[in-house]
Amino acid sequence: MTGMAGDERSPWRRDPWIAAVAVAVFAGVLMVLPVPEPADPPGGPLPETNFAVVNVTVFDGEEFRPHRDVRVEDGRIRAVGQRLRLPDDLPRVDGRGHTLLPGLIDAHTHTYGMVLNDSLRFGVTTVFDQFTQPSLAAMKRPARESLARTDEADLFSAGNLATAPGGHGTQFGVPVETLTSPGEAPAFVAARKEEGADWIKIVWEDGGTFGADIPTLDRETIAAVIEAAHAEELLAVIHVSTLEHGLAALDMGIDGLVHVWGDEVISEADAARFAEAGVFVIPTLSVRVAAAGESMGPELLEATEPEHVSPMQRQTLAQTFPRPVGSSEAAVESVRRLHAAGVRILAGTDAPNPGTGFGISMHGEMRLLERAGLSAAEALAAATGVAADAFGIEDRGRLARGRIADLLLVAGDLENDLSRSTAIAGVWKDGFPVEAAWVASYPKAPDLYLISDFMDGVEASFGLDWQETADSLRGGSSHATLSARDGALHVEGALVPGFVFLWAGAIWSPGEERLQPVDFTGRQVVRFRVRGDGGDYAVQLFGAAPQSTAPGSVPFTAPPEWTEVEIPLERFESANPGIIAGLSFVATGDPREFAFELDDVEIR
Amino acid sequence: MTVDTARHGLLWHLRIALLETRFQFLSSLRLPAFAVPTLLFPLFFYFFFAVLFQAGGPSLTGPTYMLATYGVFGVLAPSIFGFGVGLAQERDTGALLLKRTTPMPTAAYLFARVGTAAIFGAVVVLLLFLLAGFAAGVELHRGQWFSLAGVVLAAALPFSAVGLAIGAWAKQQAAVAVVNLVFIAMSVLSGLWFPISMLPGFLQDFANVFPAYHLGQLALRTIDLDLGRPLWFHLALLAGQTAVCLAVAAAGFRRFSGR
Repeated sequence: MTGMAGDERSPWRRDPWIAAVAVAVFAGVLMVLPVPEPADPPGGPLPETNFAVVNVTVFDGEEFRPHRDVRVEDGRIRAVGQRLRLPDDLPRVDGRGHTLLPGLIDAHTHTYGMVLNDSLRFGVTTVFDQFTQPSLAAMKRPARESLARTDEADLFSAGNLATAPGGHGTQFGVPVETLTSPGEAPAFVAARKEEGADWIKIVWEDGGTFGADIPTLDRETIAAVIEAAHAEELLAVIHVSTLEHGLAALDMGIDGLVHVWGDEVISEADAARFAEAGVFVIPTLSVRVAAAGESMGPELLEATEPEHVSPMQRQTLAQTFPRPVGSSEAAVESVRRLHAAGVRILAGTDAPNPGTGFGISMHGEMRLLERAGLSAAEALAAATGVAADAFGIEDRGRLARGRIADLLLVAGDLENDLSRSTAIAGVWKDGFPVEAAWVASYPKAPDLYLISDFMDGVEASFGLDWQETADSLRGGSSHATLSARDGALHVEGALVPGFVFLWAGAIWSPGEERLQPVDFTGRQVVRFRVRGDGGDYAVQLFGAAPQSTAPGSVPFTAPPEWTEVEIPLERFESANPGIIAGLSFVATGDPREFAFELDDVEIR
Repeated sequence: MTVDTARHGLLWHLRIALLETRFQFLSSLRLPAFAVPTLLFPLFFYFFFAVLFQAGGPSLTGPTYMLATYGVFGVLAPSIFGFGVGLAQERDTGALLLKRTTPMPTAAYLFARVGTAAIFGAVVVLLLFLLAGFAAGVELHRGQWFSLAGVVLAAALPFSAVGLAIGAWAKQQAAVAVVNLVFIAMSVLSGLWFPISMLPGFLQDFANVFPAYHLGQLALRTIDLDLGRPLWFHLALLAGQTAVCLAVAAAGFRRFSGR
């Protein structure tokens, strides 16, 4: 050893202590420096009104921005940034590992039943309805101006669509005001504006792609409606089923298409024409693939918590088109070329058509757009920022200061895996958290098995009285009359040509209103006694979406002698046989006169 | 010239190195022209830009961002000046030659220079963190405070290599000018004074040639405010740049020894 360390006064003795103290002071300071307030991981009850989601990857409506804090105050986004200065007592949600999006916009739905709640639970906070009853739209529109707590998405709607008498859109039993000539266009559009229509939706559909011959507007009238809409400063969008019609509408000055065609693939040159004209396209690939027999339904249900799916979502997702129409590959390829050419693509589902479900199908639509070549960010933009911009809707579709606090929090990194979008960790509407689980809002059926023994006329033990039903409700000519005699219901009538499907018979609604869904969970069968003319009949069971979807139907015959018939509820094609909005016994099929007697109807 | 040090143990080497560090540090401290600006410059900047200008603002992005970049800046000064100017001075005044006649290994000398820079850096970091945490309102997770401090102190090593390369070649008078030029230019163009994203695109690309840029990004990475380049990208370029600086320095020393 050298002598250096031996000296009492040598720094070698003192220095280790000084160094140790210095290191301790250094570490001590690091230990007392301020740390952020703790944030709660999502999973528990979500905060409302005033809160922050911290350290989350934000999709702002255009692109992903990692490590952001988002502060919500009184229903609006107060600040978005990295490391916001937040009050110590502000509730915080820990956003690590999550992606926060602006509430999604479904740019193509039809408003029925529970659409607005079903949509909201899946993070679709705004829907662009492309045809519903104007009165329904008028009733729902004011909510979008309010930041009050709600369990429904906000609605923007075309209301009454522009179609020909008997044309596409008139077949649903909803009264539709139609037009036939260019001269009627200005008054037609003015009436829509008066009703509060947010834009004008036009139908150009001759049924050719699905082998039908449907009346449709002529080109001159369509052009006149577009012109009238623009004169009223409204957007004009159009339903077309063929590329040829799409290109013709483009030349007429249309603003947007609410479907992509499925008949052929657009050329790159034509796609460039769409881009140049600034026309946007809502491809509704969800319904295109469903029409081609490749519904996203099973895939989406697989990816979703069962209790989050309502019976109506389950039912419409499970439904299929009568026969495959169009090619999904052609539709996807057309979208790919449109997108590559720079055409604005918007996400829309056309729910509740067969194979789609409100809200849930938006997550499938984004996957389909990805299949058509959009990046995760572009597919999400199609469902948020691009949609809001295309329809000129402010305050929505973007996660930015001052916008409405409609938010969707998803567990996972959507930039790398868009299919994670169904892993919903939270939805806020106007700053209020939304219950994720579907809550049965249907009244429970009373504890009675017997519906009617017809001893006291056409009354039922609950619900409405038995009533006539026939295709005349939809403009057909069939008819039926009911009478209760000798403790049985006598049903007589005739099937008369005049509508696409012929039916006539008796219907019963279990709720206080006609075709109001009622919860029969736990019941197994429909049982009844019948005798009649030996003809073919059907029992029809209306499910959770009686207005928009065809009832489940099971055939039976009415022999001359009284016969008991028992049909398990599961035989009726319905995703949730426990929900029943109506039960009917009808003659169907070819034109004829019919008569049968019905007795002791039970659901047990 | 040098004594054969191979026969001495590790402890001997360590003692020599620590002692040299001690004296190096004390002599630097006694040079107010070095110590005062080195300590005060980054604190002064941070106080103005992050505390005064950002007081009560809605976001802590600025103060938090600048904590990382001024931290790196705070270590840059003692490293590059200590080596660049100090080495040139010692060489041209003959002090270095004197030291090389002693049994002290060269490694101890280098260790002492880097160590001194790190100690100065630690003081700057400590004062900067106190200013950020208690005056600017910056909040970091405990692990982030530690990892940021770690990255910033580790910056002394690559920065010392830059200083070594300059000091090995430049003459005493020229060294001050050269070091100052490199110091200011690298700080600004690497985004240590203001965010790199404020620079035009081609300058942002050009920043890749500076170790300070990569160290800034590594420091920002600990607090999630970096530009998102992968870790290996910064580490690889930093290692390459440090190796180049050391090679340049070695060539300079050979020239010096050969004279």
